Amino acid sequence: MLISRNIKMADVIHMNYFTLSVLNRFGIELGFGDKPVEEVCKKHNVDIDFFLEILNTFVDKDYFPKKHLQSFSVKLITDYLQTTHDYYHKVKVPEVESLIENMVDSCYTQKENIILLKKFFDEYKQELLNHTHREEEVVFPYSLAIEEAYQSETPDKSVIELMNNYSIDIFQNEHDDIEEKLFDLKNIIIKYLPQPKDTGLCNRLLFVLFNLEQDIIDHSRIEEKVLVPKIREMEEILVKNFAKK
Amino acid sequence: MLKVTFTIYEESFLIRKGLAFAIGKIPNTQVIEQNDNSEEIYEILKNDDSDFIIINPKIMTNNNLKEIVEQKLINTQLIAFLADSKELNELKWAETISIYDDQNIIIKKINKLVGHKETQKSKSNSPEEISKRETEILKNIALGFSNKEIADKLFLSTHTVVTHRKNITRKLGIKTVPGLTIYAILNKIIDINEAK
Ligand SMILES: [Fe+2]
Ligand SMILES: [Fe+2]
Repeated sequence: MLISRNIKMADVIHMNYFTLSVLNRFGIELGFGDKPVEEVCKKHNVDIDFFLEILNTFVDKDYFPKKHLQSFSVKLITDYLQTTHDYYHKVKVPEVESLIENMVDSCYTQKENIILLKKFFDEYKQELLNHTHREEEVVFPYSLAIEEAYQSETPDKSVIELMNNYSIDIFQNEHDDIEEKLFDLKNIIIKYLPQPKDTGLCNRLLFVLFNLEQDIIDHSRIEEKVLVPKIREMEEILVKNFAKK
Repeated sequence: MLKVTFTIYEESFLIRKGLAFAIGKIPNTQVIEQNDNSEEIYEILKNDDSDFIIINPKIMTNNNLKEIVEQKLINTQLIAFLADSKELNELKWAETISIYDDQNIIIKKINKLVGHKETQKSKSNSPEEISKRETEILKNIALGFSNKEIADKLFLSTHTVVTHRKNITRKLGIKTVPGLTIYAILNKIIDINEAK
């Protein structure tokens, strides 16, 4: 279902409660009564076009961002992606860690196996950290610089050099599937791990992993389907404009 | 049971969804949708390893595509989707579906193909269990050897090792080396102290 500005915000959550985490990242608090999406966004100073774009990409895997909706700034996108990174590192990863920690503590029959999982996830955590760090240090600043040059009437020539050294296509190529290891971890627990006594803990861990995996897939889609095309278009226009001069 | 996979190449959203919906009613099937009409279709088709491809023969009139289909898609069967004309080209079509077929007919046709495919798949050694050879390769992966090193060690080509790896991943549902390592330890294929 396509979410539009006139739908009640409460209905959005009823339709797909995973959207709660998206609302959270936009700083939208619950308790909006029957107010439509548009009004709630206005109240929280959220760009409505951008919000709809993110939400629709999130709930519908077939959703392709529309050109005319891409009016919002690059800063909005990178800020949102940044908030999502923080959410992974500050909320999700610690959640998984503490569940695994609990499993290690409460298990006597196969401690060594659970410790294997723990090591696996520690490695993953580092990988995720490297991944987001690279985006924050390289990709986001580059994207913002491209936008700045694009908007300026007399863009500085230095942007050409910048584009010679890096391009959004390089990012697209080097952008790896950071959710793969989560997929593995899930399957190891579901299919191969001798079941620990405390199945409740195990189920909670799986639930968080499914949730995180889905969230990261969605996050990568926004990077590849919203950010990349937008920057690529700006790059092309910049190159053309410089060639004219 | 290994799923029978379909990829639908169709630009029209309504048709794509309609076909996917009908196939989805048959157990043990999996549908991938491709709405690409761009040049990328060559790349995508070339690497398509699904059991069946549903495509409008009109898109296939291009010679380049024919070549890809004949040379690269050896294990894949083609199903023609006919939107307006009844014209098929000289490619080998396993089945045809017309836009005027009703649900029962479509399901019947697909079901027949799925049935054949399933018996074929179950014949080629038990699908989810990894073979002796694969276990040996898995062991070496878990010990930290590269494809090239494994190939040299076992007197195989790197290509063969890669193929085995793909099959291992498909059967176990584990994609990464650390993941495979844990599997190997849990199943006593290697000892925990051997893992690096
Ligand atoms: Fe990211
Ligand atoms: Fe990313």
